[in-house]
Amino acid sequence: MTERSATTSPVLPPLDAVGIVREAGLTAFVVFALTFSLVGFKVEDVPGGLDIVTRFDQVLAATVLAFTGRVVLILLHKRRHLPVILVGLAIAAVILGLVVAARGAPESATAAWLPFESVVVNVLVAVAALVLAGRAAWSAWRRDVGVSDEAVELAARVHKAAIFLGPLMLGFAVVLPFLPFADRRLLDIAILVVTYVMLGWGLNIVVGLAGLLDLGYVAFYAVGAYSYALLAINFDLGFWVCLPFAGIMAAFAGILLGFPVLRLRGDYLAIVTLGFGEMIRVILLNWYEFTKGPDGISGIPRPTLFGLPFTRTDPDGGETFHSFFGLTYSPLDRIIFLYYLILILALVTNFFTMRIRRLPIGRAWEALREDEVACRSIGINPRNTKLTAFSIGAMFGGFGGSFFATRQGFISPESFTFIESAIILAIVVLGGMGSQIGVVFAAILLIGLPEFFRELQQYRMLAFGAAMVAIMVWRPRGLLAFRDPTIRLSDHDTAPEKQT
Amino acid sequence: MSVAAPDKLGDSLITVEHLTMRFGGLVAIDDVSFQGANREITAIIGPNGAGKTTLFNCLTGFYKPTVGRLTLHHPRKGDFLLERMEGYQIPQRAGVARTFQNIRLFPAMSVLENLIVAQHNALMRASGYSVAGLLGLRGYRQAERQAVELARFWMDRTGLTDRADIDAGNLPYGDQRRLEIARAMCTNPVLLCLDEPAAGLNPRESSDLNALLRYIRDEHSIGILLIEHDMSVVMEISDHIIVLDYGRRIAAGTPEEIRNNPDVIRAYLGENEDEPLPPEVVRDMEEER
Ligand SMILES: Nc1ncnc2c1ncn2[C@@H]1O[C@H](COP(=O)(O)OP(=O)(O)OP(=O)(O)O)[C@@H](O)[C@H]1O
Ligand SMILES: [Mg+2]
Repeated sequence: MTERSATTSPVLPPLDAVGIVREAGLTAFVVFALTFSLVGFKVEDVPGGLDIVTRFDQVLAATVLAFTGRVVLILLHKRRHLPVILVGLAIAAVILGLVVAARGAPESATAAWLPFESVVVNVLVAVAALVLAGRAAWSAWRRDVGVSDEAVELAARVHKAAIFLGPLMLGFAVVLPFLPFADRRLLDIAILVVTYVMLGWGLNIVVGLAGLLDLGYVAFYAVGAYSYALLAINFDLGFWVCLPFAGIMAAFAGILLGFPVLRLRGDYLAIVTLGFGEMIRVILLNWYEFTKGPDGISGIPRPTLFGLPFTRTDPDGGETFHSFFGLTYSPLDRIIFLYYLILILALVTNFFTMRIRRLPIGRAWEALREDEVACRSIGINPRNTKLTAFSIGAMFGGFGGSFFATRQGFISPESFTFIESAIILAIVVLGGMGSQIGVVFAAILLIGLPEFFRELQQYRMLAFGAAMVAIMVWRPRGLLAFRDPTIRLSDHDTAPEKQT
Repeated sequence: MSVAAPDKLGDSLITVEHLTMRFGGLVAIDDVSFQGANREITAIIGPNGAGKTTLFNCLTGFYKPTVGRLTLHHPRKGDFLLERMEGYQIPQRAGVARTFQNIRLFPAMSVLENLIVAQHNALMRASGYSVAGLLGLRGYRQAERQAVELARFWMDRTGLTDRADIDAGNLPYGDQRRLEIARAMCTNPVLLCLDEPAAGLNPRESSDLNALLRYIRDEHSIGILLIEHDMSVVMEISDHIIVLDYGRRIAAGTPEEIRNNPDVIRAYLGENEDEPLPPEVVRDMEEER
């Protein structure tokens, strides 16, 4: 409300300097308290044992930057755009200048002036400063910072753009393996990202559409993976035969989970599903005769293209992919095939979700998310509706699991820990619940970027958490929370003519 | 206590016999019996906490009655014993629809979607339990078009057509009330239970509502059970009134009879300081006395 009135009146309320300093001081103190022990001391391997190195200069840098950042943020909120732009640009320019100047000479005097040791961290700080400056410039230009409106508007615009953006991204995804910069590392990351996109889309059915907070989604992923692995090894079945079975098994697990939690909502549901996820993992860990427990299952057959394996030579003496098509053997072929495999699985998931949203069952899921009592009052069976949501969401988790098993060739309960569920859920929530394109962006952000920033090492998860907190503060409904009605009266008023 | 005398105007649609609902030690409804008829508006009135909403919750399967029998005489499908049915089956099979005292819409879904979801069961069958729908078969598209037409019909009736594609949660209060009624009607009910539909409406909206309820009763020949505090609405449009007080039925009859009933006047004037009756009703009652 206050922000609205400020938009209309050019006179800005005076700044409360003491309050700002106090708030920024508090932030700086928190950062200091956190970094003092985490960053301030570093244990290093030295000949003859371990040594503790102090890095208080970096603690100081972090504290000062946090203080400045907080002040800048407050100024941004109070519409003092100019100082924000100046400070942001100055910090970015200084850091980037130093980084460039100190390139190749990490021990030089210039490098000593950089706030942090790691180049990546320095660049990240500079980028953050640039983003802030850019944001201030954008707001100054538009002359309003109605944060929530801006978010909704942005989400709406991205979703409108999705009509073009979707095919564009799809086109990019299709040609990606043949682009000049597509090396093994990039393709591996791409496969990982697309896997999570698919899992995100699958979980989106349960969380985004049906509104059932599921913290145990990895259980279905595990069921799918083990179903495929055990079927393929024990019965010598191929990937394409096992895939539907794995989906069905996972769907069955979904119903199994669904029954006891039918009456639960919100937090309680989340806790029980979390428990279910752990249960499946513990079963896999302890049922040694069946799952080989912690040893895991190895030698899971690799997928083939209609029976053509992606090996240099076929052990059975048959044709291989490269010999059949008269190509020279390349180990990258298999990676590219895996990439297309998961891309197709993901697209099927997406197509299915988009389609089912417009069907009665999809609308019933959304209605259930909105108000279960009202659902009952119009004759929707909440039990069946929830169970279908759980089982269909689980089915896609199962497909994803099969893919995981065939890609890795080895699975063990290690791969199906709670953190996986948390990451998939984070993708859905950050993307904006129910937003298909949001899931893609969130997966790239949460899976792709951390993979590229492996250099950050132990700070990776810290950065992950910080990013989550930041998004929850600025975009509490997710990056691109936006819902398009599944049916419009205007479409239907003209529809009868078109159809006849 | 005997069952209320059968009505002359319509055929009996709902029969409530010896309904009792206890919550622990609290008796929210105490041995209430009455009948509601087809093509009639039966108002249920009473001071706050009299048990009116609880009665609806029993009728629509949200509560299982402690004692009592609730029979719905469906004009086409025969009798249903509501107290034995699952909550969601009551609207689905027996055709009893309801609205809520504090509106319960699907706020993030559009007006049209709210009305389409209400036709879930018919559409579900038409979509071959989603299989035919996923394949995009013709039969389902046809059914969906019909669903939109029915929704359109009720939007026209409730003046919501212009707002068809707006989220239900963004509608003004009065529109939300009417949308809830439209949604209930889209389930094709034979009995419509309305819990204080006029609460919070301005006089104009309130008189529009009267017209709508009359229209539903007369043109769609279904029965309406109406909980309402606004006596001007109740006295104007109801054919029959049941008065509850502390869970007991203290009177039943035509608006004329109720207006003159000393027990009703005592229940209202003596014990309901926190929500006084509208002045004109008090004046009415005083005059009659
Ligand atoms: N689920 C419940 N558990 C315990 N007590 C309940 C429950 N539901 C209703 N009651 C009690 O039953 C009594 C009747 O409540 P009810 O909501 O039916 O009143 P009402 O006639 O609808 O009142 P109002 O005019 O305020 O809507 C109240 O004393 C209420 O506290
Ligand atoms: Mg009530």
